[in-house]
Formats: sequence, structure tokens, C-alpha cells
Amino acid sequence: MEYKDYYALLGVEKSATQDEIKRAYRKLARKYHPDLNKEETAEIKFKEIGEANEVLSDPEKRAAYDQVGQAYTPGQDFRPPPGWDAGFEFSDRPGTEGAGEQDFSDFFESLFGDSYHQQRAERAKTRFHARGQDHHAKVLIDLEDAINGAKRTIVLKVPELTEDGHLVVKDRKLEVAIPKGVREGQHIRLKGQGAPGLGDGGTGDLYIEITFKSHPVYHVEGADLYLDLPVSPWEAALGGKVKVPTPGGVVDLNIPEGSKQGRKLRLKERGLPAKPSGDLYVTLQIALPPADTPEAKKLYQSMAREFDFDPRKNLMKNARQGDQARAGS
Amino acid sequence: MSGEILSDERKLALEDICETCGLPESKIITYIEEGVVEVQGGDVELWRFSELSVVRIQKAVRLEKDLRLNPAGAALALELMSQIEELKTELNRLQQLSE
Repeated sequence: MEYKDYYALLGVEKSATQDEIKRAYRKLARKYHPDLNKEETAEIKFKEIGEANEVLSDPEKRAAYDQVGQAYTPGQDFRPPPGWDAGFEFSDRPGTEGAGEQDFSDFFESLFGDSYHQQRAERAKTRFHARGQDHHAKVLIDLEDAINGAKRTIVLKVPELTEDGHLVVKDRKLEVAIPKGVREGQHIRLKGQGAPGLGDGGTGDLYIEITFKSHPVYHVEGADLYLDLPVSPWEAALGGKVKVPTPGGVVDLNIPEGSKQGRKLRLKERGLPAKPSGDLYVTLQIALPPADTPEAKKLYQSMAREFDFDPRKNLMKNARQGDQARAGS
Repeated sequence: MSGEILSDERKLALEDICETCGLPESKIITYIEEGVVEVQGGDVELWRFSELSVVRIQKAVRLEKDLRLNPAGAALALELMSQIEELKTELNRLQQLSE
């Protein structure tokens, strides 16, 4: 088992006062709260600091933890010394900040697990009926999963009450259907898949928040997709049919004659499937052929001769106007 | 196993919201006053909430509990979060364009 340095997790010295610990925890809690911090690791970090705070904010638990820490050398596999907690009383502190229904690490469980869960179970018994908590999970899916629908397995940590009143945390696997056409940020509710209730209270629900992995080709906004389409200068200037990938397969797209760099073309209902389906926006990106052979250089040189083309005509005109305006003021 | 996607089109009454979120009416009313959720309809009996309100209310509850916020603070956090989300979307779009 890995030894957890709770002081390091909160970024405080071993000699920190209770106030310093409280301040450090609050600052980190705001930083890593999974509703505020969208990083994937935020939730893990938030749980870790919650656990560190659970122990260090309670002078009794902190004293016990410090005693265990004295016998431990870094890098060692950690086993709690036998009878280490003799002489410590862990009183129930329902007011402990941030300690919700959460699962703590094996390290925490090995030190405080039994007494902690007994207290929680006792407390739970005194509440007669309560609906089980709703659970939340984030699922990261590929854009293709939203386009075609998919099945994803998610693992939930579920606290269960044993017959003798202990709480144990079990893994529960669920295979969830990702509906076709789901959008980023949408929530899927699975009724009755949250935590079991107490007494006659019903079971909570499970809410799954959908997030998309970034896609190499498409950029998603709601149900609409965006795609940058490279075209040659002659395709843009003369127009023509080019092949474009879409979620439903490759289609022919008509490039209008005289298209400029950055022109946006819309392929109606070629975005994410929905009712109505989203659109696919294609932005033209004019790509220049390299002048890396004598023939290619010659072609560019003949274009330079043949075209009466000054790309900086407006730039120079506008700059002069700007100068005059400033001189006049 | 399949669930339902929460939708803006399905509407819930105050009673349903209380039941789904496990909160008393007074708490929901506070959230309306603070702008955490919006409500349509005049009288309390006619109030209708978007199903998406459930997610916002649950977030507000977690923020209040975990960060010791009051409802106004939770509302502010939610508002700033959605502004950040919008800016991130815009930034992503601009980054893709410049690549």
C-alpha cells in the first residue's frame, strides 16, 4: 500500500497550524472542484485533498496520523503497525468540511476505515428514510460514437451497508448505451442507478455527462461540425467539384468560381445526427503549391508576368488614409 | 443499459424538481431568486422548469456543500463557469483556424 503524505497533498509544513491547514484545503478545493475544473485529473486530486483534510483538520486523527508517519520511511511499502491506534479516540465530527459521501484511499481505510464507517453507519441509522444520492460520472467519447451511437463501460464506486452495519465500497460496472446524436455537455440520466436509499427512500439516479475527445478533422459546436478544407489556388479561382469527408461518408462539394481564402460553405444536415441534424461548415484554406522545381518556379514566374495583381494595393491605400487622418487631426 | 438525454424541451413542475433533486421547495425558490435556474409560468402551480435545470441545481448544491458557498456564491460560480466555457469554445475555434 502506498503511504500518503497528507501534508504534501495540502502543501503545508508538518508544523502547520489548524488554521493554515484549513486555508490550504479551501484554496485547493476551489482549484480542483470537479464542477469548476474540467481537467480529467481534477476529480482525483479533489478526492485526495478531501481525504488529507479529513485527517489533518481533525486534531485527533492528525495526532494518530503523525504517529504512524514517524515510523515510516519514504519509498517503503506501507503497513499500519499493529495496534497503532490504541489510545486514540475518534469522535464523530459531522461538521467536517467537504467530507461528503466519498470513497477514501486504501491507506485511509486501513487507518481510519472501521471507526469512520461505523460512525457513518450509526449516523445513517438514526435518519429514517432518505432517497439515495444521485451519482455523477463523466464519459469521454469519440465523435464517431456520437455519430453512430456506442456502448461504453463505466466503473462506479458504490458504498454498501453490510449486515453488521459496516460500509464497504464496491466496484460496479455498467454498460451504458451512448445514444446516437448525443452532444457534448449533454447529460444522460439512468434512473435508479445511483446510491441505494436508506429505509424506504428510493434509489438515486446516475447522471452521465458527455464530453468529446478532440477530433483530428472536425471541430464540434453543438450539433454543427466545422472542417477546414485545403484547396488549390486554381480550384478556388476557377471553381470545381472536390471530395469532402462527412460523418455520413465522402461527398462531392461544389467550390464556387472566384472563392476567396476563408470562404465558408454549408453542407446542410451533414453535421451530428439529430432532429433536425446539425450542419457541416467547410472553410476553404487555399494551399500554395511549392516552388521547388525549375518547372514550378517557371510557372510562378509566368504568373508574375501575366497577372496584373498587387495583393497590397488596399493595404497601401488604407495606410495612406490613416496617415492623412492623423495629420489632419 | 440505456438512459434518457436530458432535454430543454421536456418541462418539469416544481414538485418534480424537488423530487428529482431531493430538495425542499424553499431551496428551489432561493435558487430561482439567485438566478441559478429560470422558471416559466406565473403562479407556483404553473411553474415549469427545463429538465436541464436539474443539472444546474445539482451543481449548485455540490458547490455550496464542498466549497461552503451560499446560494448567491454558487450562482456566481455557475455564471462564471459558463462564461469560461464559451471563451474556451471560442479559443479552440480560433486555434484550429490558425493551425
